Amino acid sequence: MPFINTLTRRDFLHRALLGGAGLGLAALTNVPPFAARALAEGTIGFNGKKLLFVFLRGGNDGLGSVVPVQDSAYSSSIRTNTLIAKDGGTDYAATPGTADFPTSPGAAATFNYASAIRLGNGFAALHPGLKFLAPVYNAGDLALIHRVGYPQQSRSHFDSQNYWENGLPNNNVSKEGILYRTIIESGLASTAPLSAVSIQSALPVLLRGSAAALTNLTDPLRYDLLGVPNSATTGDVKATNALLSAQSTPFPDKKSRAFLSLQYDGLLKTLSIFSSINFTETGNTYVDDVNTDGGSSPYYLFPTSQAKNGGYATNGNSTAKYVVDQSSGSTSFFAGLKAASLILNHTDAVIAGTELGGFDTHDNQGGATGQHANLQQRIGWALYGLQKYFKIYGRNGSAPAAGAKCAWSDVVVVLITEFGRTTIENTSRGTDHAEAGVMFVAGGGVKGYGKSGRVTGVVGCHPGGTGSHPSDANAPWISGPENQAGGVDGSMFGISDRYLKRSVDYRSVLGRVIRDHLGATQGQLNRIIPGYANEAQEHLLIGGTVTTPIESGRVSTPIIGEPDILV
Amino acid sequence: MSERILSLLAVALLLGTTSSAQVAPPAPPAITNFTLNGSQRVLRWTPFPGAQSFKIFSTTDLRQSFTEDTGGAVSGFSWTGTNTSSARFFRLDTTPLDSNALVTATVLNRLAYGPTPALLDRFKTNAIDLYIAEQLAPETVPETVQNQHTNIAFFESRFAAPTTAIPLSASTGPGSAQVSDLRAWFKLRAVGADRQFLEVLLQFLDNHFVTQHTKTMDYFQFAYGDFTLRNRIATELELRDLNRWRTALLNPATTFKDLLTISCESPAMIVYLDTVSSRGDGLRTPNENFSREIMELFSMGVDNGYDQTDITDMSHAWAGWTVEMFPTSEVFNPFAAKTTTLLSPTGGGNYTNLVGSWAFYYRTGYHGTSRSIFTNKFVPARFGAPWTTRTYANATPGSYQLTFPARTGTNAVQDGYDIIAHLADLPFTQEYMSVKLCRLLVHEDFAHGYDFTAPQLTPEAELVRQCMMAWETNMPRGQIRKVFEVIFKSDLFRSHTAAFAKVKTPLEYTVSAIRALRVSTNGTGAHGSWSSDTDGSSLATPLQRMGGMVLFDRAEPDGYPESGAGWISAGTLAERVRWTQSLLIASGQTGHNNSQSGTGNDASNSATSPVRLLFARLPLLADQQDAAKVADLFLGLLFPGEGAANLNLYRTAAINFLNTADDGVASSPFSAFTTPSTTSGNNTYDTRVRGMVAMLMTMQRFQEQ
Repeated sequence: MPFINTLTRRDFLHRALLGGAGLGLAALTNVPPFAARALAEGTIGFNGKKLLFVFLRGGNDGLGSVVPVQDSAYSSSIRTNTLIAKDGGTDYAATPGTADFPTSPGAAATFNYASAIRLGNGFAALHPGLKFLAPVYNAGDLALIHRVGYPQQSRSHFDSQNYWENGLPNNNVSKEGILYRTIIESGLASTAPLSAVSIQSALPVLLRGSAAALTNLTDPLRYDLLGVPNSATTGDVKATNALLSAQSTPFPDKKSRAFLSLQYDGLLKTLSIFSSINFTETGNTYVDDVNTDGGSSPYYLFPTSQAKNGGYATNGNSTAKYVVDQSSGSTSFFAGLKAASLILNHTDAVIAGTELGGFDTHDNQGGATGQHANLQQRIGWALYGLQKYFKIYGRNGSAPAAGAKCAWSDVVVVLITEFGRTTIENTSRGTDHAEAGVMFVAGGGVKGYGKSGRVTGVVGCHPGGTGSHPSDANAPWISGPENQAGGVDGSMFGISDRYLKRSVDYRSVLGRVIRDHLGATQGQLNRIIPGYANEAQEHLLIGGTVTTPIESGRVSTPIIGEPDILV
Repeated sequence: MSERILSLLAVALLLGTTSSAQVAPPAPPAITNFTLNGSQRVLRWTPFPGAQSFKIFSTTDLRQSFTEDTGGAVSGFSWTGTNTSSARFFRLDTTPLDSNALVTATVLNRLAYGPTPALLDRFKTNAIDLYIAEQLAPETVPETVQNQHTNIAFFESRFAAPTTAIPLSASTGPGSAQVSDLRAWFKLRAVGADRQFLEVLLQFLDNHFVTQHTKTMDYFQFAYGDFTLRNRIATELELRDLNRWRTALLNPATTFKDLLTISCESPAMIVYLDTVSSRGDGLRTPNENFSREIMELFSMGVDNGYDQTDITDMSHAWAGWTVEMFPTSEVFNPFAAKTTTLLSPTGGGNYTNLVGSWAFYYRTGYHGTSRSIFTNKFVPARFGAPWTTRTYANATPGSYQLTFPARTGTNAVQDGYDIIAHLADLPFTQEYMSVKLCRLLVHEDFAHGYDFTAPQLTPEAELVRQCMMAWETNMPRGQIRKVFEVIFKSDLFRSHTAAFAKVKTPLEYTVSAIRALRVSTNGTGAHGSWSSDTDGSSLATPLQRMGGMVLFDRAEPDGYPESGAGWISAGTLAERVRWTQSLLIASGQTGHNNSQSGTGNDASNSATSPVRLLFARLPLLADQQDAAKVADLFLGLLFPGEGAANLNLYRTAAINFLNTADDGVASSPFSAFTTPSTTSGNNTYDTRVRGMVAMLMTMQRFQEQ
């Protein structure tokens, strides 16, 4: 059922009884949280743990992000123009553990290195645009999970985005989000004025649902009403009170009406919260604590303008010092990311996020440079910048902002995308829609390289062989199906030779974060991600039974259940 | 209609059962609460759609008849009376709104960009079916929009016919239009056009067969370094499609196949979904983008009768559909040779030195061999007859496999046209497009995948089936006007289920706000005479802010959403409220041109004067000073189709607003304004009315349609 109809007439009556001006707001904010939460399980929202999401819209080419350079099938015969080439001087089969952080050739330039960056597990490498992931990876704060998908993967953008967001593969009717259900389970929706926020053009399905209006900001700087007349002395009091009062007016139920009501309530009760945060460009003073490129000044963590784009302004306007491309898409993405970070650090919101588009690279994708490479640079700097923002300006940071509420260990950042792209390049020098892709998970609480004995932060992209990864029992090798190209173990390539084999279900990754980080109980998780309640078929749990769910193309692929990615 | 709906306290009502395809009437209001409070009796009840009035009747003895209880008063959805000592029985009588008024509101919200005062006047006394008939035949409606704003002629002077070469340097005259001109022109027409449904459908088609202006601009980087020139070329390609659709919609017998053909031949589409660079010759793997989206989004609907094999197979047929610069006389000839006319005899053969027009070019060298599609696929049983029993492109009933004869050279372009004709004929396409049109015109809750053979269909499934039958049985098949006729005649369209069931898109919201207060104060309809107007251009930024609705530049191929959930969030509502408040603030006053925070103007060159409208409607001074009459005037214009009883609380709020000072606290009687004036600025009467109208238009109800 479409979610907009599920608010019942009874809810409307309740609203009708709320009465006069301002009462509706009071009713929403004056209930002590512990009272309304008496029956809630778990600790979501009460353990200080938070989630920051970024949806990479369009289908990021996972093979071009975390590159299986040692896979014999990854070659110029399938990727002529989009291949990320190896550096002739680097031994990619070596297993130093840490990722390289190339500073040559041209140490002073940010992205001079144009080859695959060795990830240290003897198999995988990073796109050179992801160079700034290396320090995050080497700190153990990053998990790179390859071949993430779901059973019978859809190659439609809109269906697949819907499944990632509603947590219900192959149900394209439900528009109720995983993160919405997380908030509902927390009990915060009816008690806290603010629980989850997106900063983008529209409220994403991730945060949509019928019983609560989670918040979307299109432009945090304009979140403010006017008065008519808009005089300096009277401001918008009369107009805003009239709106508040009107919200208690009952009307007969209609499709869309309940949804609109909730969103109006959401607007009116969050106006004052956001007005206390400085979202302005001049307020963007967040800089790194180390100097990059050998320069004399640290770089800005959120490149929201050309002047704040890496070392451009501080290094003689050298365009070689940009950390991201100078497009409006890039600056607005980092403005959204900055707003999400400020909201997590300065409000009680549990979840915040934004989106980044442009990944649908059917045409002229590029390799080490080009469209796809520009997007990788944004991803790399975003995760690096977030790590530094919370480590410096967060709770317990080295220079915490006044009232900081969120430490780097409190936040998990997840980057999701609807699918990976075809392993074989098309004639437009691009790649088409495919199946499994890459998830990035970062945070102080992420169990990456070097933590708890982990020798790699990569899951699902390492040397083959039966059994476990030779050097890490925590990241078992997932043996593939019979490979149509010849069947060598160690090849990631599978279905019809054009699609990567799924080895991890996205629900297992999100589920683990929602339960073990945000604090859901298993019972709550079974409601947030219903597949968990169906273990016999879905195998989403830790150590999930390796089995053979049916993939598209009727090829069976074993999956590993929840990857071990949290400390 | 003078039917009354009765609700009895403590008496259950038995409703007759209705057959499944009929739309159930709304349940009568339920009395939910009866309290005695000292000397007062209070009754409360649930709202009823379109309630015009509520009356309470009572009796002390059920054997006696009920009489209207004048010992109390109705306010909103409650009645308060004196608690006399005797026990009494109470009955609630509800008088619903006149049914023509309800349908009028739905028609003006769906076939048009919202009501105007003049249209509401016209259909107070005429049946709204007259308007439906006119709008279904736009070629019979005289169009006066060109007279309403001089900007329309200005923009049109910059537009080029497809056969006009885009000039490299001219900043005026044919071919100089940029996309901002096209957007402003399109919005001006939405505000003022007499052929409203034609404008609604043009927006629907442009959004359904979505292309992206900036992608076209990016594509032409290979040929032109000049940003403005690329903007102009890409704009002309958008306009070319719009004009082809307009011509098609003015033809009474236009079919979906005609519309799909325009989209497939569109140079903007060929660029947008990457067919332009796709090759199927030799062992090459063609680009799948267009093949996927033409089935998923433009015709059949996702996973509705096709799979990945069909996408891959079909991609071979489109290889070769590219663009090229032709002599202007050859713009609709896909086999023409590249233009050779030079701009400057010494300038060489680069595109920057060639004169011509960009158009669809069939590049035979990029085409290999087309493959059969929908191999061994049959129409599923859920469609039932006639769809499962007739033939499609082959001799086997129900099989919709499409096989191409061996074609070579330019003849192979026909493979693409075979696909267009085939897709337009399939039941999947009939279903998907019917669903999409029902979502546009009725409400959002339609889906594809109904079992049309089920013994009892929901009203939604039944309406989709009737649309498909209209598509199927009128020859030639796929005439879209026949489908519209079915929808507009349906109970569902005319019922409370459809009325106000949808949320306005940003375009619909802004345009409807301007229309709602728009009269030609001297009756001429000329530029400058309107009480509410826009220059077109100033709507671009507000639409962008209200959720990124940038016309002709949607990045994703699914088009802008038709659903409210795709548009409504706290942030976008803040933008809608702010823009409306800014629109109502007088030009030149703080907040109209410069917002108090954030960047840029809000309403800018969109402006309205509700008092000019008020004076046209209430010429007597005594009426102009009467807060109740002023409130009623605007309630009627802003919320037609809603009954007075349901607006009672809004009315009280409006009257209170008019009688309260700007601080929201002090009493300031509206009747005390002895010299009402339309003068904008510091005139308190003017700003008081503006504030009240802004309040009504920023309420949730004005978001609905």
